[in-house]
Amino acid sequence: MKFDFIYTLDALPRLLEGSLVTLKLALLGFAFSVVLATLVTVARTASKSRILSIAVAVYISFIRGTPLLVQIFLVFYVLPIVGLNIGPVTAGILALTLNSAAFVIEILRGGLASVPKGQFEAARSLGLSGYALWVKVVLPQTFMSSIPPLVNEFTQLLKATALLSTITVVELMRVSQQIYSNNYHPIEVLTGAFVMYFLMCFAVSRGASWLESEFEVKRA
Amino acid sequence: MAMDTGKMSNFLEMTGLVKTFTGATALQDVSLNVAKGEVVCLIGPSGCGKSTLLRTANWLTPADAGEVRLDGELVGTMPDQRSASKQAKGLNAVRARIGMVFQNFNVWPHLNVLENVVCPQMVVAKRSRNEAEKKALVALSEVGLEDKKSEWPDNLSGGQKQRLAIARVLAMDPDLMLLDEPTSALDPELVSGVLAVLKRLAEKNMTMIIVTHELGFASSVADRIVFLEGGHIIEQGPPDVILQSPATERLKLFLDKLNITAFQPKSD
Repeated sequence: MKFDFIYTLDALPRLLEGSLVTLKLALLGFAFSVVLATLVTVARTASKSRILSIAVAVYISFIRGTPLLVQIFLVFYVLPIVGLNIGPVTAGILALTLNSAAFVIEILRGGLASVPKGQFEAARSLGLSGYALWVKVVLPQTFMSSIPPLVNEFTQLLKATALLSTITVVELMRVSQQIYSNNYHPIEVLTGAFVMYFLMCFAVSRGASWLESEFEVKRA
Repeated sequence: MAMDTGKMSNFLEMTGLVKTFTGATALQDVSLNVAKGEVVCLIGPSGCGKSTLLRTANWLTPADAGEVRLDGELVGTMPDQRSASKQAKGLNAVRARIGMVFQNFNVWPHLNVLENVVCPQMVVAKRSRNEAEKKALVALSEVGLEDKKSEWPDNLSGGQKQRLAIARVLAMDPDLMLLDEPTSALDPELVSGVLAVLKRLAEKNMTMIIVTHELGFASSVADRIVFLEGGHIIEQGPPDVILQSPATERLKLFLDKLNITAFQPKSD
């Protein structure tokens, strides 16, 4: 058996389209997840509510203690039963969001812990509280120290989108499957997808370190 | 001076303050009034309650009992009968009038020097960016940092950070400034720059309460020195009386421990 590069090349335009869908899914899932995790983090910290904090802890251990694939299937099959007829794309993004939020909450907890108590006190003593305290002082510092783990989480999420092929979302993995089930050249096509995934993740992590160093330079 | 002008001496009224931390009593029924334009220095051994007293003045540390009023306006009281939102609103408004400077500076590392001073003005005092920047530049030049306005706090020395923290407070036009050991975290050669700024503020009749271990500085700026120990005010009075002829044995012991043999009232 020989590797025929022409099949990879032939598949390339469709693989690129699939990559774009993958990127879109990852970006949307991650954006929603960061927003959700931020709201939960602020609510949990500001309210000091024991109930909320226990609920979050339980949620996180459920998400971390079960396979993402099972979570995706559950969202996809359960929501229509309760009357929510969302398509596979929405279900997929929702599943990714719910999964990733658990990890982002943990990341932000670490970032928040690295903001010294004095930063809150200085803000309060100047009359900042509530929204202004968080948005102007605390969250920027929380996110700044959370950039590396957040980038890592984004690449995890980007790779996890491949699982959405199982609920018929036509992303990079599903596109590859469609192509090789027609031409019977899975190795050539999957190699193309492999390279695509790698390039996306590589670009993201390189871009992030570039941003970080730019930031360091600006502040130096 | 300001101390004996009757009603004026009630600019800041701290009455019957009690504060207990788990296992330790920090304040035991402490009352302190400060007149407008007065500079009060709090001294005492560590754990004596001086920082706690300072932090109850803007209710950053809420007392267990007692109340604090600024200009007759309630800063905080315990038990507080006001609704939570009313408390918060009133507290923010009155806190904007009280500037606090911390031992560890607490400048905001994610904002550059100018933005550190601009941010609270826009958010709390609701000033326009234009106005806030103008005010910020005035405040920065008052502390000698006008040429550092585009720098990031991480690149400032400790003394510069502390002067930035002072500028951030000054730009809010405070009626009262609380300073919690403002030079304790500084290398010795950086202390004088910060003290010089504070001295200029005292000369401009800024009302200040300063927790300090710099007795030479205290004697040169303070109208009154208050000595605390074990959560009580033991002794208070003008610097020369307090530092040179202490009335109580405890203050005498404290001063002896600090070994201030070379103490000079007007040293610079």
